[in-house]
Amino acid sequence: MKFGKRLKQQMQETLPGWRDKFLSYKDLKKLVRLISSLTPMLNGSIRCDKAEAEFVYLLNNEIDKFNAFFMEQEEDFVIRHKELQQRVQRVIDTWGPKGSQPSETDYKEEMAKIRKDIVNFHGEMVLLVNYSNINYTGLAKILKKYDKRTGGLLRLPFIQKVLQQPFYTTDLISKLVKECESTIDAVFPVAEDEKTRGEREAISAAEEGIFRNTVAALFTMQEIRRGSSTYGHHSLPPLNLPESELIHSLQINSLIPIP
Amino acid sequence: MDARPALSIQRSGSKQLSSSLPVLPSPLEEKYPKLPDSQQVSIEKELVTSPLALHSAPLPSNSGVIGHMFSSTSGFSTDLHYSTVSPHEKHGSSSPFISQSPCNRPSLPLTHSCSSIPDYSAMSTQYTRRENNASWCTDSLPGFVDFPLSPVRTGQMEGSRAGDIITSEDPNKQNDWQDWADHLITDDDSLTSNWNDLLVDTNVAEPGPKMAYQVPKKPPSSSVHQLQVHQRIPSASGEICTEVNPLSSASNASTKPRMRWTPELHEAFVEAVNQLGGSERATPKGVLKLMKVEGLTIYHVKSHLQKYRTARYRPELSEGLSEKKLNSIEEIASLDLKTGIDITEALRLQMEVQKRLHEQLEIQRNLQLRIEEQGRCLQMMFEKQYKSGTDKPKASSSSAEDPSFASADAIKNSPAENATETSKVDSQKMDGALENTRTAAEESSRKSGEKQKAPETEAAEDREVNEIEESDSRPKKRAKSDESAAASARRVVDLSR
Repeated sequence: MKFGKRLKQQMQETLPGWRDKFLSYKDLKKLVRLISSLTPMLNGSIRCDKAEAEFVYLLNNEIDKFNAFFMEQEEDFVIRHKELQQRVQRVIDTWGPKGSQPSETDYKEEMAKIRKDIVNFHGEMVLLVNYSNINYTGLAKILKKYDKRTGGLLRLPFIQKVLQQPFYTTDLISKLVKECESTIDAVFPVAEDEKTRGEREAISAAEEGIFRNTVAALFTMQEIRRGSSTYGHHSLPPLNLPESELIHSLQINSLIPIP
Repeated sequence: MDARPALSIQRSGSKQLSSSLPVLPSPLEEKYPKLPDSQQVSIEKELVTSPLALHSAPLPSNSGVIGHMFSSTSGFSTDLHYSTVSPHEKHGSSSPFISQSPCNRPSLPLTHSCSSIPDYSAMSTQYTRRENNASWCTDSLPGFVDFPLSPVRTGQMEGSRAGDIITSEDPNKQNDWQDWADHLITDDDSLTSNWNDLLVDTNVAEPGPKMAYQVPKKPPSSSVHQLQVHQRIPSASGEICTEVNPLSSASNASTKPRMRWTPELHEAFVEAVNQLGGSERATPKGVLKLMKVEGLTIYHVKSHLQKYRTARYRPELSEGLSEKKLNSIEEIASLDLKTGIDITEALRLQMEVQKRLHEQLEIQRNLQLRIEEQGRCLQMMFEKQYKSGTDKPKASSSSAEDPSFASADAIKNSPAENATETSKVDSQKMDGALENTRTAAEESSRKSGEKQKAPETEAAEDREVNEIEESDSRPKKRAKSDESAAASARRVVDLSR
């Protein structure tokens, strides 16, 4: 139940509009259990196949849900990305040093706003990638459970198809993420001495919505990938982040539930 | 047949639930909130109306209804339900059966109700077309299990089981299971015919991903309800994903085909909008005409335009008004006081964490892809080997590793028990290879990770990767040393290319 708990945690901490878009892991697990208890009573493969068809149907529904949500978000992100780029350009052109009305204060002001927006936007996109990933993991796990419980051969072919689903092909989003990063780096040059701030500051920063979600996501990922008893060669290696202490401290403080 | 009203009421009730296991109607509603209201209403009417001409307002579902439903649906033919669930490949034996049952259904009410909804002409076209199609060609849906249909009523048993579960769950879960059980038991006409039509439509748009858009071969209006069709358009390089892939076609193909907007497509859109005088003045029809992208429908453009307008509205608002500016400055200042840190620093930190998460996600995704890819290749290799039947079962001494390997999919996929001995031999090879692949994947991801890294964090990354390597050697399944594993990994990777 570890993954289930983690997933639930993620869902609770995620952006409110996203909460019902995740995999219904618990329900599917129950279904697997139901099917596996049904199987001994069923004579012949016909009924087993029907049960499997049911299961597949529900999985497909879940996948549809992911796809729809993901593509909707993706569309939004494409639009917003373009808008942000244009906005940056406009500010540079208007208030920048070589702009039509060069004004340092205005420029800084507007840039500060844009920076905040870009960072949040970046965060949202990363959270979408995380959404995709965690749902994929859930699907893989539930399929593995199914095969294990019912002796079926569902997992391998099914997961192959999942790999091609829109919700899992996050290349575009990743590309946008990287573009955001480069925009930020280009427009807001980073000072070298800023890495050594205290934890207190970091913690208070973590109470912001998107940031906190990101922290939660990272932490969850680490937890999920901690070595487990069922570690097999289809499992991912444990995740060891160098800043895990920082993440931990951020995590503890951001367990305040979002209202 | 008063069970029927309960059914349809239940269904419309379930539409109101934000269930995690949606029945077919609710996904339609949930997923396409942007549908013009008239359309949405007509969909609802459609589904509710068809067998019963019942324009009931959605009622809240309760377990009482379910109980009633369960007891009274025992007489229902669940075989049709299963025909809904499992569209078949082109098997001559099965498809006649399937096509039979839907055709036996009273299709007239459906078409009739279709025509009674005037602005839904496209939908009715879709449904009338169904009349002409007698068979399901579903070779685009191989994902579904192909089982011979028999009018065995297992649904009843499962339904009652679900009923038990429902009564023992808390109210929230009840809803979920209601829907699931609902789905199990019900095989409403509209559902079945929906499935038929959707699948038929699906199949007409062939899963040839690079083929030209199929519109010319069908009535153009049905393209609206077509699943997305994948097409390479050199000019616009937009992506209209075909959902004809087996997994989602059935339940997805109802009304709004999903369009995958790429930046290039969006650029074309923005240009068209600007040509027409801005987002406020542009009309979907005009934009559609200007864009000249095949496969793009007015619904796509409409929804996209809506989003575009919303996105533009907010930033313009905050930019233009001075008081808004003032407010935001105050906000930022107060935030500084509250948190005691520089806002820049906070943002920088946030950015760092986000970057980190994104990197990890990418690495994780790559690993997942490789693992599955390797598993697939090995599976194919294994199947070939099994077919050729060359390998003598070497009765390999199962080490401690094997039990865990035995539960791996590679082994599970062996078709019969007499293959287990052969499989044990192969399993060791495969698992060894799989582990090698994982090492290889980690190595390559480490390398790619390194390339992306800024100089100051490279040391951290190396440390991290070393930890990963060490933790890999921890599992007792690992027999090889890292060094030789790396060497053989490279070989395997070369092999798989």
